[in-house]
Amino acid sequence: MNDDTPLVRLKGVTKKFGDMTALDNLTLDIARGEFVTFLGPSGCGKSTTLRILGGFERPTSGSVILNGEDVTLQPPEKRQVNMVFQDYALFPHMTVRQNISFGLELKGMDKKSIRQRQDEIMSFLELDTYGDRYPAQLSGGQRQRVALARALAPDPALLLLDEPLGALDAKLRGQVQQELKSIQRRTNKTFFFVTHDQEEALTMSDRVVVMNKGRVEQDGTPEELYFHPASRFVAEFIGETNLLSGKMRGLEGDAVVMDWFGQTLRGHAPGGAPRTGDDITASLRLEKLRFHKARPDSCNAVQGRVVGKTFLGSRMAVDLMIDEAAGASLRAFVDAETGQSFGADPVWVGWSSDAMAVLRD
Amino acid sequence: MSNDAAARAHSGAVAPGTGERTFWGRLTSWPLYQILMAFLTASPRRQFLILAAFPLIWVLTQHLGPMLQMLRVSLTDAYPVAPGVEQHFTLDNYMRFFGDPIFWQPFFRTLTFAGVFTFCTLILTYPVAYFLARHVSRKNQMLYLLLLLIPFWVGEIVRTYAIMILLGNTGAVNMMLKWLGLIEKPIPFMYTSFSMGVGIVYLTALYMLLPLYSALEKLSKSFNEAAADLGAGAWTRFRRVTLPLTIEGISSGCTLVFLISTGFYATPVLLGGPSTTVFAETIAGFFHVAGDQWPTGAAFATIMFLTALILTSVFQKLMNALRKGDSK
Amino acid sequence: MNRRNRIVLSCVYWAFVLYVFVPLILMILMGFKDSKFIGFPIRSWTLDWYTGVFEDAEVLATLGYSTAIAVLSTIVAVAVGTWIAVLLEGRKFIGRTAIFGLTVLPALVPGIISAIAFRIYARWLGIEPGMGAIIWAHAVHNVPFVALVVMARLSTLPKSQIEAARDLGADPIVAFLRITLPYLMPAILGSSIFCLLLSFDDFVRSFFLGGYDPTLPVLIFAKLKSGMSPEINAIATIALVVTAAIGIWAERFTRRLNKDTQA
Repeated sequence: MNDDTPLVRLKGVTKKFGDMTALDNLTLDIARGEFVTFLGPSGCGKSTTLRILGGFERPTSGSVILNGEDVTLQPPEKRQVNMVFQDYALFPHMTVRQNISFGLELKGMDKKSIRQRQDEIMSFLELDTYGDRYPAQLSGGQRQRVALARALAPDPALLLLDEPLGALDAKLRGQVQQELKSIQRRTNKTFFFVTHDQEEALTMSDRVVVMNKGRVEQDGTPEELYFHPASRFVAEFIGETNLLSGKMRGLEGDAVVMDWFGQTLRGHAPGGAPRTGDDITASLRLEKLRFHKARPDSCNAVQGRVVGKTFLGSRMAVDLMIDEAAGASLRAFVDAETGQSFGADPVWVGWSSDAMAVLRD
Repeated sequence: MSNDAAARAHSGAVAPGTGERTFWGRLTSWPLYQILMAFLTASPRRQFLILAAFPLIWVLTQHLGPMLQMLRVSLTDAYPVAPGVEQHFTLDNYMRFFGDPIFWQPFFRTLTFAGVFTFCTLILTYPVAYFLARHVSRKNQMLYLLLLLIPFWVGEIVRTYAIMILLGNTGAVNMMLKWLGLIEKPIPFMYTSFSMGVGIVYLTALYMLLPLYSALEKLSKSFNEAAADLGAGAWTRFRRVTLPLTIEGISSGCTLVFLISTGFYATPVLLGGPSTTVFAETIAGFFHVAGDQWPTGAAFATIMFLTALILTSVFQKLMNALRKGDSK
Repeated sequence: MNRRNRIVLSCVYWAFVLYVFVPLILMILMGFKDSKFIGFPIRSWTLDWYTGVFEDAEVLATLGYSTAIAVLSTIVAVAVGTWIAVLLEGRKFIGRTAIFGLTVLPALVPGIISAIAFRIYARWLGIEPGMGAIIWAHAVHNVPFVALVVMARLSTLPKSQIEAARDLGADPIVAFLRITLPYLMPAILGSSIFCLLLSFDDFVRSFFLGGYDPTLPVLIFAKLKSGMSPEINAIATIALVVTAAIGIWAERFTRRLNKDTQA
């Protein structure tokens, strides 16, 4: 098995629960050593994908290839895949050590090797002093680490993580995000992470797959998703954005030319260019807008009046009225000091064509 | 986190090794076990069928079987079948019950007694359950309940005997009354419907108490407080709030106690007299006397069981209607 | 107002406690009466009835017989009841309601009807009246109680526990033995004790399915029919002490187990 073949290959995987389609013809590769996050609202199919990878659900159609082997019909115990559960699912009647050795025993390891592996994994996750404790005697963060240790111990090819940070408080969560990322780097394991928290997804992952209604909305790096959303759903789900509804005028090279309340704007279309004359929506991130005293020479420029300011600490969100009659407005971030200085005078804002993504609906 | 630990943790250190393995490791790598598991878990469907097969066979042959066999025997003219005799289908056993009024008396007496005793049990245990659920602190509830449970671990016969000692002519009650100067001759409590009632209520109280207690315990105190807030008096509160909301507990407690009461055999034999013969004794009679009486006994038992089932389901329907009517 | 209610209700409770305890206490006292004649007042006391019982080979044999029946029928009932519970809990399939209904059926059949139905069925199966028949009848009768208690406990086991075990390489049987079974232990022990008591105390099924050897309740019944005597009180008291002791011990034990696994 050479390292170029994907670790996981999902081919046309569909899962139906009665009349409900949880997963609709999903095709996807996951490379070795990747930190992939499936992101989406509840019921979007992300957990179903995870459960199919784990072997807890069988797809209605399609196949799952792991390491070049078709595992679609294999039960969980046969797969080289381990999982960190949302509630950790630590065995309450076993100590930390016994929890960790559970998977090792069933791999047929001898007692000495088990002991050795336990020690390694426990020192790696700084659990050395907790070996003889029961899960009930541990804090939330410690339990999370035990769950991770238990899943990593049998050396799985793929580690599944089902919203494992949901049960932690906000402060601890940030810290654990960093830890998880660093563990993934150092073990060089493939992590398949599922969450509904966009911030979590953007912070940790190499690659994010946004799911909606059983389909992939967009698949890309966190940066791509954030700045170049392909669909309205992605634009709205990740971060705050301006949505500009207008008409497609045509193409100028790679740039999409659109008409927005009489203004001619240029953007790009990561999700594919629409046809001329179509009604389209473009996404423009708040921090991509630049303020100017006079008309800037950037690709796109509009003039407006400041009608509202929201102080956010280091920065400020400014509401701009562009065309009162048509109800066209924009929202932009600006540093707090500049924001303070805005009065009733009209201001110019400008942005590049790269900053504005024309969306697939 | 130390870095060499990290290095080791992903260095592919998961080698099986050659030393002694754990019990589970040995079990799961034992070839016979693996063959067995491969057979059992070949598909989720097979796994389910194997899991379901035994319970299904058990409940059909062991739970339903005896009832069906009883029904079948009740429709034949001879059982156990003597060699050389042919068994025929007949309704005679049922006709025998409907044709002879001598059987009607114990039959209706059993139903009346069961109804009356069930009602007495309800009246007696409701305040007890109410007290436990409402007036005892959570911490002590189990203790108070446990105190009541202890006597109920003692068997039917022993408790029946205890009632005999209590109510006999030289029993505790009569001796007490005599000592107080209230009576001169002992009151003959024993071998009457009264002694039977005391005994049966004594035996069944727990089956009423527990459903009532769990219904009352579930009922949130805030309902009552809300009602009190609206100006309802204690009695109104009880009648309009507590009682309707515990109807489910009352209904299941009564059903259980009624069914159990119709089935007592030893207690009526020991505590009752000739004027209180119940249907259980009639049925048992067909199994004691020599001769070909089993089919008749089976028919009588079927009649008894069906009647009890019909009565309790009508009762449950009524209680349900009552509950729904009240909530409107 | 509320206070008066409380006092009245507490009187009712304690009166009820008296009602359930006094007959048993009187029965126990009577076993120490130094006279053949059952009745009050008791003027002089003796332990002779007890020494008599412990020298009576028949009573001792009966005690052993009853205990053996209770233990064996409990083992069967617990195994079957647990199996049924595992099938029924948390699974949806066609016929589930029907199987559940049939599972609880033996608990709802009135005593005498259950006894004669078993009698007829045992005859049909060719089981002679005696120990085997009683064990079988008690086991069937007790299965519903085990199934209900185990189902209640099983419903609180998070699904992820089993999935985690499977995920770590456990086949369904290993997952059951190492995760489900330890979790069910309090329910299994609790219902075993309940089954032991039900079997030990059962009269009507033992009476109709028994052979020549009586179980303890059947022996007491037979002796009662031929007249009351303090000897019966002594036997009944022994039966009472055995059952109450098992009951109290079980109550404490299962509560401790419950606490341990919930912590």
